[in-house]
Amino acid sequence: MCRVVLLPLSCIMTTTHTTSAAVRPVELCSVTKRHGMGDQAVTALDDVSTHFAAGTMTAVMGPSGSGKSTLLHCAAGLDRPTTGEVLIGGTDLGGLDENALTVLRRERVGFVFQAFNLVSALTAAQNVELPLRLAGRRPAAEEVRAVLAAVGLADRLGHRPGELSGGQQQRVAIARAMIARPAVLFADEPTGALDSGASRMVLRLLRDLVDSHGQTVVMVTHDPAAAAYADRVLVLADGRLVDELAGAAGAEAIAARTAALEVGP
Amino acid sequence: MISLATARERWTSFLGCFVAVALGVAVVAMSMLVLLSDGRRVPERLAGAPVLVQSPAGTQTGGVFAENPPWAPERAEELRRELAELPGVADAVTDRSFYAQAADTEQRRGERQGHPWSTAALAEYGLSEGGPPVTADEIVVDRSLGLTPGEPVTVLTARGPQRFSVSGTMNGPGYYVTDRRASELAGGVRTIGLLLEPGSDATRVAAAARRVVDGDGTVLTGASRNALAPKQDEMTRWIGGQVLTAMALLSAFVAVFIVSSAFAFAVAQRRREFGLLRTIGATPRQLKRLVYGEALAVGAVGAAAGALLGVVLAPTVNGVLIDAGFQPAGFEVRLRWWVPVAAFAAGLVVALAGVGAASRRASRVKPLEAMREAAVDSRPMTRRRWAVGLAATGVGAVCSAGTAFAGADGMVLLTLGTAMSLTVGLTLLAPALVGPVIRTLTRPFVRRPGVTAVLVRENMITAVRRTSATLAPVLATVAFAVLITSTVQMTQSADTARQAAAVRAEAAVVPRGAPGLSDAAVARIEGTSLLSTTVYGGEGGAALSAAGVASGFEQAYAVPAPRGDTVVVTAAVAAAHGWRKDHVASLTLEDGRTRRLHVTAVVDDSMPYQVFLPRDLVRDHDPSALADVAYRTTPAPARLLPGLRADEVSVEAYAASDDAEEDRLVWIFTLMLVAVSAGYTAIAVASTLLTATAGRVRDFRVLRLSGATPRQVLRALAAETCCVVVLGAALGLAVAAPGLFGAAHGLREELGLPVELSLAWSWLTGVVTGCLLLGTAATVLPAHLALRRMRRA
Repeated sequence: MCRVVLLPLSCIMTTTHTTSAAVRPVELCSVTKRHGMGDQAVTALDDVSTHFAAGTMTAVMGPSGSGKSTLLHCAAGLDRPTTGEVLIGGTDLGGLDENALTVLRRERVGFVFQAFNLVSALTAAQNVELPLRLAGRRPAAEEVRAVLAAVGLADRLGHRPGELSGGQQQRVAIARAMIARPAVLFADEPTGALDSGASRMVLRLLRDLVDSHGQTVVMVTHDPAAAAYADRVLVLADGRLVDELAGAAGAEAIAARTAALEVGP
Repeated sequence: MISLATARERWTSFLGCFVAVALGVAVVAMSMLVLLSDGRRVPERLAGAPVLVQSPAGTQTGGVFAENPPWAPERAEELRRELAELPGVADAVTDRSFYAQAADTEQRRGERQGHPWSTAALAEYGLSEGGPPVTADEIVVDRSLGLTPGEPVTVLTARGPQRFSVSGTMNGPGYYVTDRRASELAGGVRTIGLLLEPGSDATRVAAAARRVVDGDGTVLTGASRNALAPKQDEMTRWIGGQVLTAMALLSAFVAVFIVSSAFAFAVAQRRREFGLLRTIGATPRQLKRLVYGEALAVGAVGAAAGALLGVVLAPTVNGVLIDAGFQPAGFEVRLRWWVPVAAFAAGLVVALAGVGAASRRASRVKPLEAMREAAVDSRPMTRRRWAVGLAATGVGAVCSAGTAFAGADGMVLLTLGTAMSLTVGLTLLAPALVGPVIRTLTRPFVRRPGVTAVLVRENMITAVRRTSATLAPVLATVAFAVLITSTVQMTQSADTARQAAAVRAEAAVVPRGAPGLSDAAVARIEGTSLLSTTVYGGEGGAALSAAGVASGFEQAYAVPAPRGDTVVVTAAVAAAHGWRKDHVASLTLEDGRTRRLHVTAVVDDSMPYQVFLPRDLVRDHDPSALADVAYRTTPAPARLLPGLRADEVSVEAYAASDDAEEDRLVWIFTLMLVAVSAGYTAIAVASTLLTATAGRVRDFRVLRLSGATPRQVLRALAAETCCVVVLGAALGLAVAAPGLFGAAHGLREELGLPVELSLAWSWLTGVVTGCLLLGTAATVLPAHLALRRMRRA
């Protein structure tokens, strides 16, 4: 089995020039995450180091329990690693308190979930402008409309989540993630609850954000077809990075690699 | 924006809060409106005098409403003369009263409607027909009696029935006789009215009068004359005030309780949503503010509705209170704009106070909780919850211990305190209790075939928060209802037992539709009677209830009777005023004269009056004194004439009927308290279950998909609700028990009577049945609808 070892050297170098324009959107340095205590402790991430380059789309794959979601949560600042460092836009998350971390997430990170996670009491437009309101800003109506139009939902502004299809809800969630112009967009199985048509639409939308706006996207998925949209595919097993290949390799090649892991020892 | 939108979306979960706040504010607004409307009016027969001088007040003790002690006769005459000579004063008139009652009229205890003709000058009304009384057997009566001048009339006085001839009629109440005739019947002077010369200023005259009186009385003018309202009315209002205050307090407590438990549950149900908001950039503080905002939105709407409801309902409730005897007849509610505003503000405070803990919990939700399918309650007991729960339970335990050693006044407060703290304590500890209790109780059922038992058990244990949120209001209802009704039941039987135990006689003769028994009625009874009067004495001239007793008293009560210039007092009075056996007590009597009397005995406090005087002494100083009761000690029944307004009853019946009026008021009071607390908690039970059921539709679907029939799902739900209600009722009983034991112990120790601990079973059954029906309906109906929708989809 081929094992790619990424040297944590790059991390040590980048921490020194956080103001530089070449700052990487997200970096993980020797990140380890253990759940539970003592004998029952489970190591979800085991000394993972990597980074996600600006204007690229990365897919994180791996069998169930491989730690891919934990990797995403740690990278997005939703969860704190047991040891190691996570840097978003050059800022070390370990040094931030809960409040500062929230503000940083609000400004730099967008998040899309598998189960759309819209606030059911609010309309599509209100859901989209929520992050701005939470930041204490008064969103301009055109701004919200433009973002929703970008995901193809200009005519669904006043609809509540219950009145939208799954694919439409996921696109509202992407619009919401994008409105604050985050440095990086994290997506946790964004197509997991969608049929293939809606999936393709959401993935094309994400790909388009990368290609035309230079957006950085990190996506966790178990679907090789979804991973094929990415520039780079990281494969995790037992909390470790075990493989990396280009998305251009195609769904079949990706499926072959990951299938080997599923049936492996 | 989010707060408002959520409040709109999640209206079922806020329904309970809304109704609780609305009802609480309504009760508070209503109570305040009624309490703050000063119902006291200067009696019509004195209202014609612009300036009135009242004799100085004696010491007033809470709950005792007695007229001020009268001036000494010489002092009253001296004051009258000095006041009459003031510039601008046309005349000064002393006001005196005696007992007078025509046939076919009803009078209450303490009423004295007879007056000398000279005081008619002070009245707002005047003669309508005929002329003033000139001879001793002439009388002026109220026109509404239907008599015309020249007709004969028999008027019952303290001596007995007396024949008069009507000389004139008046446009208002009262019996007016010549001043000379009145002086034989009336007691002392408590009020002097000033009639002014045309054009003189009442304020200036009042100022001059104040210099003359110089502390030996109060000069009243304008609205302040309302202080002369009958003390009887004031007492009624005082009782009404107690009822309203207790109701308002209980409502406020229950409202905070319900708002906090409803919001705690709502927050627990919305952890995913809060987690989502945290991931997209909401800080913990923003979540806290969000929950506060929701409470404020619901609270504002509820409080506004409540304030409006209070204003609308106040006159109606006032009418009910008058009918029940908690407010004097003719009392009117005055609307003050700031009362509903203050009640509205109180409603907001209640909502914010109730939501405090829930908002803190919401702010601690972690972003990752958005990712979980949280159905299992993780850690429902926080360290803070443990601490506060244990502390409240501790306070409750201390209060219940205190109940056993408290007097009658403190007992009520401590009993309520016990119930409130234990309710809060056990509610907070409920999540910790629910798991072990249910696990133990349901173990035998789980081995049996069938799905219901397993589902019920596991649902209750895993969704501890839902179980606790449903259980809390049931607990509160049962605890308050059982505690209030059982305590009242025990107290009443104890009081009646005390009264009957004290007297040894064949029968009792009691007045019917009259303030008391006249001498003529008493003379027909072989036995002893108690001539009721008020004396003023000791520290600060406190009013004491006194009885004039004659032969037969010793036999009936087995205590020494006073003779000549002597007095017998109860132990409490002796202790309060520093009197002892063989000391001299200085007492002012009804006519204003002060006598120095020898204390011959100190008797125990179970006696019906505080001071006992020789009958002749009382009659000399209070010509209008009436007997409250006469006891027959011979076997032959008394021959009573119909005109004497007296009935013979058994001693036990008298003891019970003496309390009957009081008991009736207490029961109405009890009913109101139970209705308020039970009404509230019913709303809370229903709204919690509605919310919970709405949030479980996904569970139902899974159950249905795994092969459960709709009937099985509903049966499991109903069984679960019944289990929770029964458990809540059991905890409620546990809350009530210490208070009840304390009250029983206190009654035993204080009264020395064997009070049996008794439970108001009918109430308990009623309340628990009500909770069961309501709870089952609130669970099964929405679930039934959801299942049907599922089938159609």
